[in-house]
Parts: sequence; structure tokens; C-alpha cells
Amino acid sequence: MRKFLLASISLLTVVTLLAACGPKPTEAPTEAPAELSVEDCPKPEVFCVGLVTDVGKIDDKSFNQSTWEGVKKAEAELGALVQYIETTDSKDYAKNIAQFADAGFDVIVTVGFALGEATQEAGRQYPDVKFIGVDQFQAPGSEVPNVVGLIFPEDQSGFLAGALAALMSESGKVGAVLGTDAVPPVWRFGEGYRAGAHYINPDIEVTTVYHNDVGFDKTFTDPEWGKTTALSMIDKGVDVIFGAGGKTGNGALLGCAERGVMAIGVDDDQYYTVPEAQKVLLTSAMKLLTPGTFELIKMAKEGNFPGGGNYVGAVGLAPYHEFEDKIPAEVKAKIEEIDQALKDGTLETGVPPAKPE
Amino acid sequence: MDWRRFGFIALIILVLIGVVVMVGATQVSPTVIVVSMLATTISVATPLTLGALSGIYCERAGVVNIGIEGMMLASAFFGWFGAIYLNTILKVAPMPSLLLGVVAAILTGGLLGLLHAVLSVTYKVDQIIGGTVINILAIGITGFLNRQLFFEKGSIFGGEVPHAPGVLPRFHIPLLADLPLVGRVFEQQPIAVSAVVLVLVTHFVLFYTRWGLRTRAVGEHPRAADTVGINVARMRYANVIIGGLIAGLAGAYFTLESVPSFEPLMTNGRGFISLAAMIFGNWSPFGAWASALVFGAAQALQINLQFFREQIPPQWAFLQQAYIVGLVPYLLTMVILTGIIGKTTPPAADGQPYEK
Amino acid sequence: MSISADESVPTTKAKVLKTLKSAINAVLIPLLAVFTALVIGALIIKAAGGGPLDAYKGLFQGALGSLKALSETTVWATPYIFAGLAVALAFKGGLFNIGAEGQLALGAVAAAWVGYALPDVLGVTLPAVIHVPLAVGAGMLAGAIWGAIPGWLKARTGGHEVINTIMMNYIALNMTSFLLNGPMKDPNPLNVVARTPGIAESARIPPVFPGLRFHWGFILALLVTGIVWWVLWKTTLGFEIRTVGANPDAARYAGVSVSRTIVVTMTLSGLLAGLAGAIEVTALNYRHELGFSVGYGFDAIAIALLGKVHPLGVVLAALLFGAMRNGATRMQFLTQIPVDVISVIQALILLFVAADAIIRWIYRIRAREERVVLTRGWGG
Repeated sequence: MRKFLLASISLLTVVTLLAACGPKPTEAPTEAPAELSVEDCPKPEVFCVGLVTDVGKIDDKSFNQSTWEGVKKAEAELGALVQYIETTDSKDYAKNIAQFADAGFDVIVTVGFALGEATQEAGRQYPDVKFIGVDQFQAPGSEVPNVVGLIFPEDQSGFLAGALAALMSESGKVGAVLGTDAVPPVWRFGEGYRAGAHYINPDIEVTTVYHNDVGFDKTFTDPEWGKTTALSMIDKGVDVIFGAGGKTGNGALLGCAERGVMAIGVDDDQYYTVPEAQKVLLTSAMKLLTPGTFELIKMAKEGNFPGGGNYVGAVGLAPYHEFEDKIPAEVKAKIEEIDQALKDGTLETGVPPAKPE
Repeated sequence: MDWRRFGFIALIILVLIGVVVMVGATQVSPTVIVVSMLATTISVATPLTLGALSGIYCERAGVVNIGIEGMMLASAFFGWFGAIYLNTILKVAPMPSLLLGVVAAILTGGLLGLLHAVLSVTYKVDQIIGGTVINILAIGITGFLNRQLFFEKGSIFGGEVPHAPGVLPRFHIPLLADLPLVGRVFEQQPIAVSAVVLVLVTHFVLFYTRWGLRTRAVGEHPRAADTVGINVARMRYANVIIGGLIAGLAGAYFTLESVPSFEPLMTNGRGFISLAAMIFGNWSPFGAWASALVFGAAQALQINLQFFREQIPPQWAFLQQAYIVGLVPYLLTMVILTGIIGKTTPPAADGQPYEK
Repeated sequence: MSISADESVPTTKAKVLKTLKSAINAVLIPLLAVFTALVIGALIIKAAGGGPLDAYKGLFQGALGSLKALSETTVWATPYIFAGLAVALAFKGGLFNIGAEGQLALGAVAAAWVGYALPDVLGVTLPAVIHVPLAVGAGMLAGAIWGAIPGWLKARTGGHEVINTIMMNYIALNMTSFLLNGPMKDPNPLNVVARTPGIAESARIPPVFPGLRFHWGFILALLVTGIVWWVLWKTTLGFEIRTVGANPDAARYAGVSVSRTIVVTMTLSGLLAGLAGAIEVTALNYRHELGFSVGYGFDAIAIALLGKVHPLGVVLAALLFGAMRNGATRMQFLTQIPVDVISVIQALILLFVAADAIIRWIYRIRAREERVVLTRGWGG
């Protein structure tokens, strides 16, 4: 028994010593006036931004991460204190939002359509906090004054990608490898792509394969499946593939790279995020989460927060990079023309906001 | 060997491919469909085959291993990390980095195998617990390290996603890859090939060598084995570690052969499906391989049915629903297992610690 | 006379001491296991450049630091208790139910359907006293059926329950996704989430205290724990389950119908897992939504094992896991430490509790020769 006591005392000492060392100061304290901590958030001069993820990880290299990068930009450029909480179960949405709100955070970003209701409720409960709901459409009549929905016309981005794919395809077969269609933005990307390809060539064969069979939380993190699916499409003569769905879609791009088949990325300019696919990447159907999030945070700080409605973020095609010279000028012109028509509303994708049942 | 079981499984795969050929024939030539389905089948089956072989070594020696999932996940991570670290930080050329990455993955699996052996043989902990510990531990450690090393600023890679050294290259299998039409199926990557080789090796080792005889003796009648002078603990240690090494190779498949990236939870339950394949194949290498192929074919069916969605005849319209197609592989496995294959017999002393 | 008195006094004393000692032993080892796991966890956090004390302060605050935190811990623990009992019951019967995940999901789906659709289908308004039990019962029934199928297959064809429960998890998963995205999706045009409509007022179990999420499900879980204990140790059925679990040949010899017992065990196991899902719907969320119930079935395996496959142990293990999962949010909020570290600590706790020889060795506690058989592997 004595030995046991000795052992536990020594272990306790170790812990105490460890704690005494404390967290290392990571940055040189010359510029930063003082390390801010969450306890400072109730002070009016301290600007705090919190992010709550959807069921998923902050480093998902997809919507959670892109949004977080927007928040990080606010840290760098606006001097904000930023924190995130990862949700593990949808029953905790409200609890996680409240964690920030109760600590006196100024802006709370919630990522994903699934948090829409919880965000609105929190908006009513904490009228002094500003909420940014990413991918959360604020329906007319149900707006909350301190909540803004950051939404994107993904169907337009997908439409452009589909049109480009159809213009570049020689086999008359184009494909898309996507995450689950239970996520409306993914479905809109996919259907926009289909519509865009058919707009160019009504007879073109468009294959869209959604990844639905492994469970909601894993559909975006299965690159192996994405690659296998892309290879299967290539075997059947598909010569342009749109990979849209986090890492699953990235897997499709990698499959294209392996077989030298043209690919189209999604969300960001994937020329930089999937360097392995640079040789085959035509372009990316962008949905600019990072600048959109940052812009809204900046508006919140400057006092012109567009609460009580929606803020439409930018979409469009990324630069062609290595295909700059390989894409014929008339194709580029056509894409330009479609882009204009979509923007001024003379051309509509015909894709409804959510999958009809 | 259980030829009937094997032949039967082959028949099922043919039927699955046949279904897709029938559906898609108006659009794509049957050869193309067959080749593409076989290619998908093989790539899906590779980690499952290896996982099942890993289980066979453990369980033939009498140690239940439900930690295959965790072993695969941890190996996938450490193999990938090793390759990237060598390539980016130590500036080793891509090819040696990848190969050393595979070695790192295999060793990771081996270490976890050792942990399982220590727990279940030395400490005689309930073997299900050992496996569960490995599964949870792997999820935690890989998720944690992945975040710390590749996401946080100030990590060794500076918070930027480092450029992966690519994946193991494909090579032509001589003769077979030169075959007309189906040749492409035999352009394979090293781990996929080694999975098949390991099936043959394992079959030989288990049934035609003294080592195999002793392993099976330890798994069936440890007491009898002990009385004839076989060191039960040592045999179990060795086989569980070998199982771990093979699970490590399965892990390497995910990040070094399939795609050059790691994702938390990327093994997505394939370790458990390997387990199913092992039981389904009645704890025999060929049986397990065949079961893994059935599962691969069922996956190929699912992908291809989505591909040919518009060609599906209207009376089969429910197959156009992605979720319905999604459950087909699993339902099929159950139907085959219970309706046709029926009872499987585990090694008699499987799961029981041996006490002198 | 004096001799007997002399003898009896030390005997009673020794007896008391012995009981006390074994009680201390029973509590001491798990406590030391948790402690050691936390120390190792601290080292990991430290290695990652975080402050272990801050992290654990956050964990503690989030799990037990306030009335609200305590209430949230019970919210997490409730499904863990039900699902842990489900897995533990199957283990007692010598069966390995990896399928609690799927049984739980279908239980939730069934309860939600009865909750929102049944009154319309029947064209009547149901009073709560009928509607709530109907919804919960439907969840139990769905789980029971999903558990009974692998049990029946095992008894009938020998198809292995491990394969079948794994496969049925995936089938349940796909079915749930299909239903929640299609036929059962909330038809509200504003809704884009894959979820059912909210269940009717009459199917909702009201909260116990206003402002707290602590719900009656937790109390029910404790009650059910008692019932499971009673069934296992005080009834013939429990005796049969345990006998088949310990030694099917002996059970057969004793005249117990092994195949019937297997089916019954799996049915009850599925029923408990289904109850977990039904309670989440009727007492907490008031609807079913994808993204909920992720991984409960797998955590339940660890909980059942950590609880040494005993109902009371399951409750304690579920509370521990629930507290850690719940406190993790606060920990992450304060320190930005990845929540995965919680998984590492949980794995270590399970490891040390199971391999108590390691703990005895570290703290030099004398061994107590007694090994409990928890599971029977795949055998039979």
C-alpha cells in the first residue's frame, strides 16, 4: 500500500510539473500585446469569433475547413480571437452554439444546412450576438435580424463545369463523382453539372454517381471509393469527370490523374489543393466559402452586418492553369457567355433549391 | 480446400457481372463492362483479402481479433506519415519513401499485433477487449496526430498540406497483361498483387508446413499441442504478430497504393467486413479471398448500377434509388451466407486463453 | 466457552476486513485505471503543446461542473446505458451483437414514425398515455426484430451473428438514409435536412425540469438496468441465457433449448438497443435526424466490456463515457485540443481495467487470482 501511495504521489508530481510548465508561448510576444483568452471575450474591445462545425471535423479539407480558413483570416487581419467546436452528434448543435454565446463571443459561424434551425433559435435567444449560417437559406418570412445565411448558387457553378465538360469531351460521355445527395449543395452541384452538359449537347451522356452507402458522416471522406468509381467511369469511355464531395471527390481527381483523363475540381481552386492532379485539371467549379465567411465577419466588425436575410457568396470557374492554351478560344468564349447569362439571369439552370421527393 | 464453396462464390460473381452486362449492354460493350467490373472488384477486395488473412493467422492460432479495423487505420496513417516525412523533410526520393512508408505501415500493424498478443496471451485479457482497445485507440491516435501534424500551424509541415510522394506504380504482370481485351485487369499495383500471393502462401503455410500444423493444433486443441511439446504461448504470439503485419499491409493499401492522402476514419468499417469475409470463408485463405471478391463484385455492381441508372428497365425502377442499391452488397452477403453457405466452423479453441 | 469467544471475535473481524478489502479492491483498480489513463492522456496533450490541467479543467467543468453540465452528462449517458445493456446481455448469452448501431437507428425511425404519422393514419388524436408507450414500443419492436433476425438465422442455419449483425448495420443505415431522405422526410418546404417531421405533442415525454435537457429516459434507463439484472439472475430465462452463454453443450444436456435461447437473447438485445433509439426520439430530440446516433453501437461494445458485462457496471461505464464525451466540448472550447484525445483516454481506461495486472504491477497491489469470462469469442 505504501508503494502504491508513493507511486501515485510521484505520478501526481509529474502532472503538476507538466502543468507548471504550462502551454508554450507559440508566437513571439513582441507584436501581440497580450495573449487573449476566451475569458476576455465579454469585454467590448475584444472581438471574438467562434465556429461550430456540422457533424464532421474541422480538418475535413471541405466545407468545414474552408469556412474555418475564412475565420482564421479574420484572426490575421481583424485581430479577432477565434475558436472552434466540432460537433459529434446533431443533438448537441444548440449546446455547442451556446458554449460560444455564453462566453460573450461577438460572431458565431455555424457550418452546414443541418444547423439552420439551431442557429435561428440561438439568434432569437442571443439577440446581441451575430450569427453567420453557412449554406443556411433564410426563407422569406422567417428571418432573424441578427442571423445571416451565407448561400451559394452551386447549381450555376456546376452548370458552368458541365458546359465546359461537354465542350471538351470527345467521347460524348461525361461523369461526376459526388458525395451524398442528401446534402443539398452537393445535389445542386451535380444537377447543375448535368443541366450544363445537356445545355451544350442534349444527346450527351451524363453519369452522376453519389456516395450514399457508408453513412452520412463518411460520405465526404472516402477517397478510395471516389477513385474506384472514377476509374470505373473511365473504363466505360467517360473522358471528363467532375469530382465534387470533399475528399471523396478528390479521390476521383486522383483517379483521373492516374489515367490522364480531364478532371474538374470543386469548391476551391483545386489546382492548389490536389497538386497531384494538376496535369489533368481543367478547372474547378468554385464556391468561395473562405472569402464569403471573412467578408461577413468583417461586416459584423464594421457594423454593417447584413442580418435578417441571405448573403449570396461568389461562385464561378477557377483559372484553367495548364489548360490555358489547350482549351480552344471559342470554348472559352462560350463559357464566358454562359457565365454572363447566368449572372444577369437571362439563363437559368432549372435546378430547384433542394432535391424534389 | 473447400472447392464447392469456392466454385459457388465464383458463380455468384459471374451472376453479378452478368446482371450489369445485361443492363448496360445497349450502351457499352460487354467486354468493357466485364473488365471494368473486374478491376473494381479487385481493388475493393484487396484490403478485405488482406484483412481477412490477418484474421486467419490470429484465429487459426486461437486468438480472436476484432481489432483489424484499428490496425488498418493506424497503419494507413503511419505508413502515409512515414512516406511524407521521408519525402518532404528528409528529401528522400519518392519511390524509396513510398516503399519505406509501406514498411512503416507493416511495422505499425505488427506492433499493434504485439499489443494484442500481450493482452490476450500474456495477460489473458478477454480477446474481444484487446481488439476493441485497438480499434478505439487507433481512431483516437490517428485523429489526434492527423490534426496536430497536418492541420495546426507550427506543426512540422507548417500547417500546409505537404505534397505526397504519389502512390505505388502499376506494373504489367508479364504475359497476363498482354492478353487482348482483359489485359488491363492484370496491370496491377504491388499490394493488390501481394494480396493474391499471400493467399497462396497462407494456404501453403497453414496446410502444408509444420508451422501451419502447429498453428492449427494450438487453435484447435491447445492442451494436446502443449503435451506434445508445442509452446502454445509462443505460437500464438508469432501468429498474432504476423496477422498484425498483414493488417499493416492492408492499411498501406489505403494511403500508399489507392490514394495519396489520409483521412480520419478512412477505413470506413472495412476491417469489420474483412472479419465477415474471414468467417464467411470458413477461416480458410481461399474461402476468405473468394468472399472478399464477392463483396468487391457487389460493390462494383452498386457503382455500375448507378452508372447505368437510365438503362434500368422500369419494372426494376427501385434499383435507381441510390440507397436501395447501396444496401444490395450487404443484403446479398447475408442471403448467400445464411441461405446457401450456412454454418461455418471456427477453430475449436478460438477466443479462449490457454492456461496450463 | 472462552475459547469459542476468543475465536469468533477475530473471525468476524477478519470477515469484515476481508469484505472491506475486496470492496476497496473492486473500486480501487478501476479508479487507478482511470487515473493512469488520464496521466498518459496528459502526457499526450502536453506533447501536443497543450496545457493538460486546463484541458482537464475544461473536461471536468463540461462534464460535472454545473447543474447544466451534469444534466448534459446524463443526456449522453442514457443511450449508452441502453445500448451497453443490449451488448452486455448478448455477451451473457455467448453472442456478439455488433449490430446495436443498426438496431438503435431503426428503433429511432420506428418511434419517430409512430410519433408523427400514426394519429393521421388512424385519423384519431391519441392521448399521451397511449401515444408515448406506442411510440416507445414501436422502437423497441423494430430493434427487437432487427436483433431477432440474426438470432433466428444463427439458430436456424448457423449463419454467424457477427457477420449478420455487421451486414444488418449497413442495411439499416441505408434504409434509414432512404426513409429520411424520401418517404419520411419532413415535408415542410423550408426543410432541406434529412429528418422526419417533429413528433406529435402527445408522443413527447416532457422534460423533468424546465431549462434542463435531463429527461425521464435516464430514469427509465436505471429502471431497465434493474430489470435486466433481475431477468438475468432471478428468472429461469436469465438462467438459460447465462447457461447457454457459459456452455451450450451443458445447457443442451440440462434440457435447455439452445436455439430458442439464442433467438430470445438476440431479440432482447435488439429490443434494448431499439429502446435507446426510441427514447432519444420521444424524450429528447422529438424527431429523428441523420447525423444522430453516429457510433453509439460501437461505443456500446466498449461500455459493455468496461462494465464487465454486468448491468451495474454498464451504468457506471456509460456514465463515465457520457461524462467524457460531454465534457469534451468544453475542453475543446477552452483549449482547442482535438476531441480525439478522449478516444485515446477511453481506450486506455478499457485497457487498464481489462488488463488489471498492468495496474497492479504499476502500483504494486497484490494480485487476486480470479478471472471472469466475459465473452466467448466466436465459438459455436
